[in-house]
Amino acid sequence: MPTNRPSSARFALRQWNWVVPAFVAPAALILIVLMALPMANAVVLTFQFWNGMTPPSWIGLSNYQTLFSEPLFWSALRNTAYYTIATVVLKTSLPLILASLLSSGVRFSVFFRTMYFMPVVISLAISGLLWKMIYEPNFGLLNETLRFIGLGNFTQIWLGSSNTVMPSIIAVSLWQGLGFYLLIFYAAIQGVPSDLYDAAKMDNANALRRFWHVTVPMLRPVIVLVIVLNTINGVKVFDQVWAMTAGGPNHASDTLGTYLYSTAFGSVGNPQFGYATTIAMVILVLSAVLSIIQIRIGRRQEVEY
Amino acid sequence: MTDMTEASVLLARPAIPYGRFAHYFGRAAIYSTLGAIGALQAFPLVWLVVTAFKNPREVFNSFLPSQLDFSNFVRVWSNLNLPGHLINSLYVTSLTVAITLAAATLAGYVFARFRFFGRDALFYIFLAAMMIPSQTILIPMFQFLKQIGLINTLTGLSFSYLGSAVAFSVFLMRSFFVSLPKELGDAARMDGAGEFRTFWYVYLPLAKSGVATVVIIQSMSVWNEFMFANTFISSPGLKTIQSAVFQAVDEFSTDYGALCAGLMLALMPIVIVFLVLQKQFVRGLTAGALKG
Repeated sequence: MPTNRPSSARFALRQWNWVVPAFVAPAALILIVLMALPMANAVVLTFQFWNGMTPPSWIGLSNYQTLFSEPLFWSALRNTAYYTIATVVLKTSLPLILASLLSSGVRFSVFFRTMYFMPVVISLAISGLLWKMIYEPNFGLLNETLRFIGLGNFTQIWLGSSNTVMPSIIAVSLWQGLGFYLLIFYAAIQGVPSDLYDAAKMDNANALRRFWHVTVPMLRPVIVLVIVLNTINGVKVFDQVWAMTAGGPNHASDTLGTYLYSTAFGSVGNPQFGYATTIAMVILVLSAVLSIIQIRIGRRQEVEY
Repeated sequence: MTDMTEASVLLARPAIPYGRFAHYFGRAAIYSTLGAIGALQAFPLVWLVVTAFKNPREVFNSFLPSQLDFSNFVRVWSNLNLPGHLINSLYVTSLTVAITLAAATLAGYVFARFRFFGRDALFYIFLAAMMIPSQTILIPMFQFLKQIGLINTLTGLSFSYLGSAVAFSVFLMRSFFVSLPKELGDAARMDGAGEFRTFWYVYLPLAKSGVATVVIIQSMSVWNEFMFANTFISSPGLKTIQSAVFQAVDEFSTDYGALCAGLMLALMPIVIVFLVLQKQFVRGLTAGALKG
């Protein structure tokens, strides 16, 4: 370590001087006023009844009691779990496989990456609206196409039936997120030393083995990162679901995000802000706990080379 | 270790002759997989553009329009006041990105270059703030904006994004400044440059890729944000493009031509920026995720 040599003392980090408070102040102020205070208020709100008109009143743990005895909450939690597990599996495995195919020296890889990436830049709400048109049962693109190619029996009321609504939403999420995670994996694969692949080839490892025994272990930290990102995005999913179904039909696609939103801003004249914030706390705790567990597991099973 | 030894035992089998046929077959399989998924990814957007140019009578008849029809665009452009909503979005995005960039560059620099009491604790607070789902502050923020009289204003909407935007950007900027050599600043100081000049003339120009990353990530997320925009703005004239289009869906419910034209116009700005700045976009977003 260079810190042992006296000459390197001038390379050490700078000590405290006027720059520190002056430069940190704007960011700290923003963080306190626009993040820490709202967070503290959110905790307070979970113990209150507030409808936005009359002043909030203290009701103790009543919001939490209502929450855990409310069937709609449990079904929202179930749907959120379903969505999160499905998107974590699909939006991690498929992008990883496609990224390694793209890295296997194919031509036009820039073209493919652009095509895959395009949906990423579109807002979740707009892609929800676009897919709502595609899923429309009578003249939507999907059913029209199925009828056109003679698979008319497979047409569905995609977003209108409780059996198909969640898979349909998950498909949209995969469509939209695929390119993003693919690019993360692609960038990470470029960083894997190529002699590892050469050595594997010398040992006659076929492509599948190279993928499983070189790519996957080398990308382990990135895979954990993608799983964590997918989990956080899954637990708080809102935009696409709200744009496509608003939680319907009959709460079949209600997630914690849409359930929260409809209790706060959905039903006109009866906003329950305290209760809605209690749902938000569940989202916060779930995403924090799940991502910490995943990072822990990811670290523990790290392989040494 | 066990994983690798097991692997080398498995891999030490005699070579399977890997013929030409197998090679071309493999390549063909890879290309057709990539092509098919690429087509699936592109198709909804192609359909959107094609439908936007169809005559309303043709929308459900054939895939391609018999002739380009711009009437859908005319109808949405005038009925929806799209230019107004685009300007609203532009205002919120620029204001948020400008404030975020200024605050995050300064703080990120200090976190990377200085050692002071409580630095790590403070940094972990920023890190934690980054992970907070926006739903958690939705209602308190609504309450707060109402109290300070900024509910239903574009400036208030912009403020509502600042907390998480600054937290994430401080984190990013710090990681860019950390990668720059400390000797540069020492040399500048020896030449008599003050603290601010060292930051402004020596380090900031070198952190350009960090600045670009912050601008790209934050512009995209603010431009595309829907939940806060749809909640904090109630005046129709002040709506951002995302929530304006969302509201318009009922109005144009079966007019798919107009709806497609509206969606297309709403996502055109960001798609154009993406296509022009593709390299920076991809580098910025992956850097953002990998460093985050």
